[in-house]
Amino acid sequence: MRAKSLKAAASRPHSLVRREYDHPMVEFTLDGRTVSAPEGELIVHAAARHGTFIPTLCHDSKLDPYGGCRMCVVDVEGAPRPMPACATRITEGMVLSTNGPITDFQRTLTEMLLSEHLNASPGGRPNELLDMANELGAEAPLILPDAKREEYADRNQLMGYDPDACILCNRCVRYTQEVMQCSALSLEGRGGEARIVPTWGLSWLDTECELCGGCLSVCPTGAIYEKFEEGTKRPEHALEQVRTTCTFCGVGCQIDLNLDPETKHIVKVTSKDEYLPNEGNLCVKGRFAFNFVHHPDRLTQPLVRGEDGELHATTWEHAIETAATGLRGVVERHGAQAVGFLSSARLTNEENYLIQKLARTGIGTNSVHSCEST
Amino acid sequence: MGRGASTNSIPEIENARFLFVIGSNTTEAHPVLALRIKKAVRNGATLVVADPRKIWLTKLAKRHLQLRPGTDVWLLNAMMHTILSEGLQNEDYIREFTEDFDAVREIVMRYSPEDAEKVSGVAAEDIRASAREYASERHAAIFYTLGITEHACGVDNIWSLSNLVLMTGHLGYESTGLNALRGQNNVQGLNDSGANPSYLPGYQPVDDPEVRQKFFERWGVEVPEATGYRLDQMMSGLHDDRVKALYLIGENPAQTEPNAHHVEEGLGKLEFLISQDIFLQDTARKYADVVLPASSFAEKDGTFTNTERRISRVREASPLPGDAKGDREIVILMAKALGANWPEYPDAESVWNELADLAPNWNGVRYDRIEENGIQWPVPEIGGPDTPFLHAPAPARPPGKGKFFPVEYQRPIEEPDSEYPLVLSTGRTLYHYNSATMTMRESGITDKQEEPFFEISADDASALGLAQGDLARLVSRRGELEAAAHISDRVFPGLVWMALHFAEQKVNWLTHDVADPLIGTPEFKVSAVRVERAA
Repeated sequence: MRAKSLKAAASRPHSLVRREYDHPMVEFTLDGRTVSAPEGELIVHAAARHGTFIPTLCHDSKLDPYGGCRMCVVDVEGAPRPMPACATRITEGMVLSTNGPITDFQRTLTEMLLSEHLNASPGGRPNELLDMANELGAEAPLILPDAKREEYADRNQLMGYDPDACILCNRCVRYTQEVMQCSALSLEGRGGEARIVPTWGLSWLDTECELCGGCLSVCPTGAIYEKFEEGTKRPEHALEQVRTTCTFCGVGCQIDLNLDPETKHIVKVTSKDEYLPNEGNLCVKGRFAFNFVHHPDRLTQPLVRGEDGELHATTWEHAIETAATGLRGVVERHGAQAVGFLSSARLTNEENYLIQKLARTGIGTNSVHSCEST
Repeated sequence: MGRGASTNSIPEIENARFLFVIGSNTTEAHPVLALRIKKAVRNGATLVVADPRKIWLTKLAKRHLQLRPGTDVWLLNAMMHTILSEGLQNEDYIREFTEDFDAVREIVMRYSPEDAEKVSGVAAEDIRASAREYASERHAAIFYTLGITEHACGVDNIWSLSNLVLMTGHLGYESTGLNALRGQNNVQGLNDSGANPSYLPGYQPVDDPEVRQKFFERWGVEVPEATGYRLDQMMSGLHDDRVKALYLIGENPAQTEPNAHHVEEGLGKLEFLISQDIFLQDTARKYADVVLPASSFAEKDGTFTNTERRISRVREASPLPGDAKGDREIVILMAKALGANWPEYPDAESVWNELADLAPNWNGVRYDRIEENGIQWPVPEIGGPDTPFLHAPAPARPPGKGKFFPVEYQRPIEEPDSEYPLVLSTGRTLYHYNSATMTMRESGITDKQEEPFFEISADDASALGLAQGDLARLVSRRGELEAAAHISDRVFPGLVWMALHFAEQKVNWLTHDVADPLIGTPEFKVSAVRVERAA
């Protein structure tokens, strides 16, 4: 999982996005090989350019360098102690070792985290800590006696938090502060009592939180998760993903619809760092407003208004024939200009193309427009 | 300048050094794009926000130009006045790449910042400082949306912005330009694909005989010559019997159009109405003769085009409910029933290819190039490059010159008076989407915002004896509604604001329907109302 997203971060298609990459290239030594990267790039990204994926937990390329969890430490020749690759920048001639004795340190650190990790993934989201434990061959030597942390309930229906899955990497809090720039979450308490809470102890609905779900998208262990009544029982990797474009505003965020493989119903919406233009970010509507798709109010059969003035269910043949006859009648009585078409920004380019073609070739009018013409 | 689209790309925003956001509540209407603006400011860029309301972005702004609704032309002309009187214009750019500069110079010199202060309420010094900062920063970008276009003088406002851009040469390179933030997911594509009475797909004018001939050759049917009706003309046509049938696809005009009671009267006079939609919305329930159950975005293939002209894939994920059909299939059935001679369209791609063949700037956009991230039109050649920013090296308008359009201030159509003393402005909130047929069905989101509310200043509220959350009645010359008072410093005394999302209390019962004379955009942003305590 990490390897994939790091790879994406290192090869962003829009080179103009990352100004830091405009710096001159410098040579450095990576596990005995001489390679190059832009001066000042973070070691973790510079190494990823050359296929070396350093394990990280608190790091996220959307956030400022943090260096909190120490999972990514590497040996730097001449440095008095191992250095965090997510917060140290490349300089000319640097000599780095990522695969020597340092991996023992990473394994020990992982085991310490596992010894407090009581719930692997409450909402079925991916768990980077477990992935890393697998890669490093780390297992919890014991469960610490004071590992259990106090849960709290919240009345919002969208997101839950389980302190027993949380490794206190602070990515969620940093996302709210650095990306959203709002005051929504804080780290509360110390040691065995520490946990993430909505600011000032309020409900998630009463802080500055905009319910965008950015916190859960950056959480490495799924401690913050979608609190849906159904669907999240199945882990995310068992869902089918279909990439598409969000249907709300004109930004055109790229999303993955996560489907239950049996019903093909949307269970949740996710995104990825390498997607343009949103780079994995979503808003409250993009992430959570998809239930309308499967809502019981959806129209499921054609309706035609009867003599009694009410709409009645009918067959497609009858509905299309009634529609075509109705339009033809108006054209005969009043001319083609008396028919107007109002299309919609909800529709695809292809559908809009066919609708204007229908107006122009099926009826013979140029009167095709929409309320979103501005 | 010659193109109806944002000039620059979304990822470029974070590298801009000066951002001028006017008439766009970006964090609520385009939340993910706003993240780039937030990031730019965090990277040290200067943000100036011009908006009648104290919107969220004003927290990050160096300066908030809190202008009176409808006075944008005064503000912008006075900014240009400052630029010209201080010699901050880009003479080389004006000489080489523009036309008719003198006409604008003549007019804006009559708009001094001091006079602008009297009309707009923005301090002359703030106008001057913003103009100086904008003109002297190379990577200076402008963002606007419906706050400036939904006026009877909407086109004037855009021309003013365009004049400002041309005068400074802030065009044709990265992290600059004039960026229209499109409100809905496929507004850009809807216009690109020719759902427009004046243009065939690709902005090719329908009144050009050569263009009609080109489409005739591909379609095998003559393209009608007579000019079609715009939306506002269709709406007025309901009343004077020019329009007798409407085919609505995903549209709900009884809620989304201004002066909604009047619209409903007109809809009642129709001989025939078809509604093709995913829900039985208001207009269909009351007026439709035929209702065709259609597809949501998750049930179809195709493409959407976003505000930066990026064409991205839409993919079918879920099955259609019950007997509903995809919109493409329905339109094809209608074409057959009406006897149109269409080729087979087995999939969305076959439709796209016809569009791309006929529209020169879309020629190189083919599905195989947009399987991963989308690409940005114009892409004139197959295999050729796409266009992250427009107007390089010169404005797209032939012959490579941008045109200045001098603009004089016009008063809003309806101004407050003793009977209707407050200005009503309308908009969208973060938690809902337009007529909210989709978002009101999400209980997790309506937790945050469900009841109809309006924003009012503390001064106006106390004069009316309204406390926080009190139910009040808003009355205009066209209708009235009830909503809860949300007392807030987001609006200044004399201004109230309401969102358009509430089906039970439609703000468009209140708005007036005098539109911009050139393009027909309604003036949703300025109506006169009075507020009373509800019984």
